[in-house]
Amino acid sequence: MESQWLSLLDVTIDFDQSHLFFPRIVTWILVALLAIILITRYRLLAPGLKRAGRVLVGREGEFDHRRFFGTLALTTAYFYLMGVLSDVFPNTGYSFLIMSVLFVFLLSLLYVGRPTRRQFVILVLNALIAPALAWYVLAQLFRITLP
Amino acid sequence: MDILSHLTPMFFALIAAGTSIGIIFGAIPGMTATMAVAVCLPLTYAFGLENGIALLLGLYVGGISGGMVPAVLINIPGTPSSITTTFDGYPMAKRGEGERALKIGIVASVFGGLFSAAVLFFFAPVLADFAIKFSYVEKFLIILLALTVIASLCSNMLMGVFSGVLGVWLSLIGTYSITEGGNGEPRLMFDFMQYYLIDGFSLLPVLIGIFGLTTVLLDAEKGFKDETGQGPISLKGGAKFRFSVFKGQLLNLVRSSSIGTFVGILPGVGGSAASVLAYSQEKNFSRDSSQMGKGAPQGIVSSESSNNALTGGALVPLLSLGIPGDSTTAILIGAFTLQGIQVGPLFIGNNLDTWYLMIIALLAANVLMFGIMYFAIRHIARVIEVPKYILYPLIIMMCVVGAYAINYGIMFDVWTLLIFGVFGWVAHKIGLETVPLIIGFILGKSAEVYFVKSLESYGNYSIFFTKSPIAMFLWVLIAVSLAFAIYLRVRNRRQASVES
Repeated sequence: MESQWLSLLDVTIDFDQSHLFFPRIVTWILVALLAIILITRYRLLAPGLKRAGRVLVGREGEFDHRRFFGTLALTTAYFYLMGVLSDVFPNTGYSFLIMSVLFVFLLSLLYVGRPTRRQFVILVLNALIAPALAWYVLAQLFRITLP
Repeated sequence: MDILSHLTPMFFALIAAGTSIGIIFGAIPGMTATMAVAVCLPLTYAFGLENGIALLLGLYVGGISGGMVPAVLINIPGTPSSITTTFDGYPMAKRGEGERALKIGIVASVFGGLFSAAVLFFFAPVLADFAIKFSYVEKFLIILLALTVIASLCSNMLMGVFSGVLGVWLSLIGTYSITEGGNGEPRLMFDFMQYYLIDGFSLLPVLIGIFGLTTVLLDAEKGFKDETGQGPISLKGGAKFRFSVFKGQLLNLVRSSSIGTFVGILPGVGGSAASVLAYSQEKNFSRDSSQMGKGAPQGIVSSESSNNALTGGALVPLLSLGIPGDSTTAILIGAFTLQGIQVGPLFIGNNLDTWYLMIIALLAANVLMFGIMYFAIRHIARVIEVPKYILYPLIIMMCVVGAYAINYGIMFDVWTLLIFGVFGWVAHKIGLETVPLIIGFILGKSAEVYFVKSLESYGNYSIFFTKSPIAMFLWVLIAVSLAFAIYLRVRNRRQASVES
């Protein structure tokens, strides 16, 4: 009797399909958990989404759109242009150096807003010195691969 | 004797450098020990294993310790684990005892750190010896237990479980590795993704994205406002620190360090849990707790000794089972893999020299942390004033280096950093729990191998319950952790309803 019950738990894993065996189980668990979350919180879901929408378009709450989306845009541009430029200067780290100088300066400027003359000088020096130092120490001294 | 050859001036210089950088990261609110390790990871690529470990452990200890500085001076914990330091540290600073409060914290921290290093030294090899006997079944159950404990201690258990499973799911993207006994076929992605994701997402870009870029995005969203509303309190003047303040604090030190070490051993439980637990125990059991919360040294002692004790504790499951104890050790596991070291039950036995060097590095990091912080606390305190508009662009730059260099120059790893940086921000917004997600991501692939190989060998699901007494015991632990979480939830709900 016991062995009959146990045989219900028998499993054979086809080697050709073995790559899907565990991911399928995990996916089903994930779907089940998501369903439970949606069922238990459906009352909070719609107002939450509406509020998130209002915050993102700037109608509610304190959300610094300029700095947040500016960070995202500058970071995306930094990564993209670094990739493009690394084809021009392969395996030298120059792409990293040039793009980092621009990125550090522009992102700092975005965060400061309207810098005083003193702040502006600090931003420029920081944008020139820090990436150059990082490039020299990492790429030249330590021989670490840089874009 | 081989060990002595590694104890070079460079080894200790790197510990000192790591500790100093870690203290600076910890001292800046919003920047954590995890971020320090993530950002400085590229520096270890150039060093050998021993020197790399020296730097990383210095960063870890320094990062945890530095959190007390803003906690005392501006009432904002530099790291989550310093939350309870604010309760008594800030009131002391307000009445002109800022330096005294910090030095009490420094001494308590070094005690907690050394205590947990001793526990690590004696306990990890015993646990590893025991874990060597585990088969695939028990190894899978250990991972299941780790994920259950992490998820059950999250603020929302359901979201914690979901996050952990999501982490496992993300780790499975890519091919089922032939070297692990798989069939080499891709899954969980479209055909056009195969070029980039054939080996899945690399661990370190994922971690650097979630712990580095996400933090920057969260602060950018707030617009870098001055959270304190006032400058830091000056350390000049005020009552002097004397070691006599520790008279009668031995029990507090030992109890809080034990709690911190134990919480560190539990996978995924954060440092804030350790310090809150130690603080509340001191409040419950001390003879006179009437001054706690108003500037009592005993509060700082319990908070700081417990959060530094976390460091050694979190390394216990990492080095004996291959399971990270917290988010920082999650990054350490990636750094070890980079150096060709596979942490797990065989690690200590097969790498005895490395093991001893790690203990020496941990001890030295704690002693150096004490020296640096005790004698230079007035200078370190000024770190709080460094503006984030200078720091954050540099952090993103260093994140790029870490992500790009990990696989010797793959641009997709840099994009992975951005993808998971944004994902971490979204996860934060919708209430996903980062730590179970990360631990699930790290352990997911191993869980698959252990699960599938167990079933291929035995052909029946019941093997997970009947394989051995250890397997049964692990199921009991899983049930206990779930029951404990439910008990805590019910108790908190009752308390909340009584209070309201």
